[in-house]
Amino acid sequence: MKTLMKYVLLTQLCTVAVAGQALKKPDDGSISIEQGLKSWAKIYDVVSHPRCVNCHVGSDNYPMWSGPSYGKTRRHGMNINAGNSRMGVESVMCSTCHTATTSEAAHGAPGVKASWRLAPVAAAWFGKSSDEICQQLRDPNRNGNRSFEDVAAHLNHDVILHWAWQPGGKREPAPYSLDEHVNDIMSWGWAGVPCPSDSDEALTEDITNE
Amino acid sequence: MGKLKTITRRTFLVGSTAVAGGIAFGTYLAKKPLANPLESQLRVGEVTFNPWVLIDAEKITLIVPHMDMGQGVASVQAAMIAEELDLEMGQFEISFGVPDGAYYNTALAAEAVPFRSTDTGLQAETMRGLIGSVMKIMGMQVTGGSTTVPDTLNKLRIAGATARETLKLTAAIKTGVDVRDLRTASGAVHLPDGSKLLYTELATEAASLKPIHHNVLRDPKHWRLLGKPMKRLDVVAKSTGTLNYGIDLSFDDMLYAAVKLNPHKGSPLASYDDSSAKNMRGVSHILPVTGGVVAIADNSWRAFKAVEAIQCEWQKAPYPAEQGEHWQVVADSFTADRLDKIWRDDGDVQQAVNQKPDAQAEYKAPYVAHQPLEPLNAVIRNGKQKVDMWVAHQMPRFAQQKVAAITGHDQADVHIHQQYAGGSFGHRLEFENVILAAEIGQQLPDETIKLTFTREQDFAQDFTRQIGMARGQGTVKNGQVEAMDLQVATVSSSSSQGKRMDQPMPGPDKQIAEGVWNLPYAIPDFRVRAYRVPELAPTSSWRSVGASTAGFFGDCFLDELIHIAGADPLVERIRLCDDEVAKQVLIKAGELSNWHKPLKPNQGRGVAFVESFGVPVAEVVELTQTEHGIKIDQVTVVADVGRVIDPINFDNLVKGGVVWGLGHAMNCEITYADGRAQQSNYHQHAGMRMHQCPRIIVKGLENGRQVRGIGEPPVPPAAPALANAIFAATGQRIREMPFDKNIKFV
Amino acid sequence: MQITVNGVQHEIDVEDDMPLLWVLRDELKLTGTKYGCGIAQCGVCTVHMDGLAVRACQLRAGDAQGRQITTIEGLGTPEALHAVQDAWIEHQVAQCGYCQSGQIMSVASFLKFKPNPTDEEIDFALSSNLCRCGTYPRIREAVKTAAAKLRGEV
Repeated sequence: MKTLMKYVLLTQLCTVAVAGQALKKPDDGSISIEQGLKSWAKIYDVVSHPRCVNCHVGSDNYPMWSGPSYGKTRRHGMNINAGNSRMGVESVMCSTCHTATTSEAAHGAPGVKASWRLAPVAAAWFGKSSDEICQQLRDPNRNGNRSFEDVAAHLNHDVILHWAWQPGGKREPAPYSLDEHVNDIMSWGWAGVPCPSDSDEALTEDITNE
Repeated sequence: MGKLKTITRRTFLVGSTAVAGGIAFGTYLAKKPLANPLESQLRVGEVTFNPWVLIDAEKITLIVPHMDMGQGVASVQAAMIAEELDLEMGQFEISFGVPDGAYYNTALAAEAVPFRSTDTGLQAETMRGLIGSVMKIMGMQVTGGSTTVPDTLNKLRIAGATARETLKLTAAIKTGVDVRDLRTASGAVHLPDGSKLLYTELATEAASLKPIHHNVLRDPKHWRLLGKPMKRLDVVAKSTGTLNYGIDLSFDDMLYAAVKLNPHKGSPLASYDDSSAKNMRGVSHILPVTGGVVAIADNSWRAFKAVEAIQCEWQKAPYPAEQGEHWQVVADSFTADRLDKIWRDDGDVQQAVNQKPDAQAEYKAPYVAHQPLEPLNAVIRNGKQKVDMWVAHQMPRFAQQKVAAITGHDQADVHIHQQYAGGSFGHRLEFENVILAAEIGQQLPDETIKLTFTREQDFAQDFTRQIGMARGQGTVKNGQVEAMDLQVATVSSSSSQGKRMDQPMPGPDKQIAEGVWNLPYAIPDFRVRAYRVPELAPTSSWRSVGASTAGFFGDCFLDELIHIAGADPLVERIRLCDDEVAKQVLIKAGELSNWHKPLKPNQGRGVAFVESFGVPVAEVVELTQTEHGIKIDQVTVVADVGRVIDPINFDNLVKGGVVWGLGHAMNCEITYADGRAQQSNYHQHAGMRMHQCPRIIVKGLENGRQVRGIGEPPVPPAAPALANAIFAATGQRIREMPFDKNIKFV
Repeated sequence: MQITVNGVQHEIDVEDDMPLLWVLRDELKLTGTKYGCGIAQCGVCTVHMDGLAVRACQLRAGDAQGRQITTIEGLGTPEALHAVQDAWIEHQVAQCGYCQSGQIMSVASFLKFKPNPTDEEIDFALSSNLCRCGTYPRIREAVKTAAAKLRGEV
């Protein structure tokens, strides 16, 4: 029964995720849920890494400083707040310091050839668990109405995201590589975008049904 | 130059017509027989050879000998002269003492130095209970120890009065009008018929007269400029980016130098490899210097990049490599053999604390860096006949000596061109930039080279504030503080600093217990013992020096005792206070802060009192414990400087001192690992930023008997007032700086 | 490369990655823009690029091509002050003054978006401009005066 419930749940999600997409996905079941969860674990390694998560913050609009070069985790210094614009229009534009290129100096400001900014509030990952982030990423209502392919494609063309793997200076890059991360997203998607708590939910469903 | 050096003092001044087309006025030495009988009334300490007023046919120049590092003394010194000379602000230019290159620095330096250095009157004046052992060497032109106003208030007004009376005499001779019928105003001598003669019109003729020495000064109640809000002379330039600091200077064909020094401060360079650096674009030279390497290029940034690319092997530090070892040495210093001096021993503390003390506590204060925003820099041109150095320095006479020793020139041929400084806080009492620039000039004669430290080098080489600890024990009785016994152990920043100036500092170091031994409290049993920690990493004078650490220890521990006694922190301090001037400071601070007004449950209020540089200061901090940390809402500051000479500057310096004291107490320390400072830039050592800055209410009282400076005294009470307020709000005693080790701030 | 500063076009021969700060200071001798930290921690090098505040120590010369750069010298002069400079003088903000070029440039940019800022908004806008002398209380007052001047109220 547990297995069945899981299957149903995932099938439904799969349908949602790939609806309307003309893509050649591998045969159902050719990428196992276990494999998908492994891919998710790697995806989580990336999205929870300081290079990403420091700017995926909540509606208080405070970017964070965390990770090996900062010691203890804290809000971005200098009372920086990106405002509801998420790019600092209200006070100090992020681009005031985060220019088109990354400073190689220790603790200098990183930058890219795009407006430095916070991710949307819906994608607030800072301090969130693997499952919470997973649920958000596969929920079109909270991921900018994106399929997992869209998510992967987004990674390919948004240079601010590429920076995470080429952060410059002595900053620790996000783990793996951009390509590997995109592959993991596809693999996760083809496995039916499983999330760590799915089995627990299925179990809960199971028990409730009984 | 040689000829000028032989000109006598008299001919120099009188004969200056020929040289400069005008006249220079100074105040005169009492020993020198002059016509004016008032001379004999001069006190020895009131005179030097500095000419402070220069007038020629075009303009009036006032010489301001104390260096301006942001404290506004250039303006206030000029105002002192202008007050007696009847000049309006804006009718004159100011100079730091080296006008237009010509005779002045040579003649002045050669004449003035041997004299001033033996002027015991001046030494006595500057030493009088102010800064302690460092001040022993401050008979020369030194800016520090909050001494500018006390040092110059009389001297500069006499210079102004002397010039005024001489100009009047000149006008009297020229017009035949009795000098008693002449008056002066707005840069001119006014005649009874309503006509006037500008000072500049009288300059040439005045130069042929013997200046009249005049030291009868106007009553302060008739002051036009002093004591009233003044517009700072540099405020327009500083608001338009048009003021040149030392770092901004530029000369034709100037080269740019960057330095990398051994991060193990004071140790030599073992070896270096410049193979990748020397071929970088724009790089012309790689030079070894004492303790490091220098890259010379055609742009500062290229020099920075090149020096960064040099691979260096360094010899290890002469001090312990790890911070924990530093603390251990401090902790081990409360011993009889390291007792530097018992500074105070009222009543019988030993007997009191032999019984069970009601409180025992240990306090810690770390190394802290200076880091003014303008990094260290200097421009050097080492010619055959003379050396020119453009630098902002608090002790230009010593800088001159250092340069002379390196380049081999006579000291008189070393021209230090004093610059406005972008902050100092004690940093520009040191000589690293001066020595390095001289060494560069020595290797590249006749070139003009600007040396700029990167911020990272500036941090790595900063001679920090002293590290220290204190141990207190005390007793209370019947709701009152009964006994307080404080042992303070710090390294001696004075002797560390003195070593680099070849100035031994014999005797105890007054700075170790400064701010606590001199507390004006009649605690029945009160003892303060200072212990000298053997030198660890090099240290130096940091804004307010010893009182920045001992003031924190002493006031916070007293606050603990008052709390244990169950007394009100302000009321008990006032009760204990046995000095009327200090008592008024405390009372006023209570009034202005509404001390007894109840606060919300998540708020706290703390008071602290420290006297330093002769200035009693009380501060009341009010703060709120928020979800994101402590937010300081308001600080009330009351200080007694005897007389407030420049009210706007006073207000600004007090606020700045509070921000300095609070900010560093909150989040700054320098720690060592592998013998290197671990903090490299402001992200690790910022001090206070705008969002953390409270409202600051400032009140200057004028009950004190002497005029005092205000640059440093507001600093020491800030940290203890904050710690005491945190206790009031949270119940948590903060006994270690920086406070953010133990509590979060917004 | 060509670079436009205070309305004047300059032909300069520098590396693409030379920070604009050092182009301004050492190549063009515009020293009102200061060097403080080199890593965007202090704000003393703040200039405007197309009217918006930017830290000149973080902006590479190559990225400034084709843009309008304004420095403190171009914002206003002692003879023709910008409203922010005027307010700075009125409140006598400066102590050492080294940070004030950057403070003023930050404020001139910020007030375009927030013509009537609150204390909290000022705190957000200016906490990335360090002042070691502690002129913050005066800066707060001066920002409000400058804002009122720009709104035409004083």
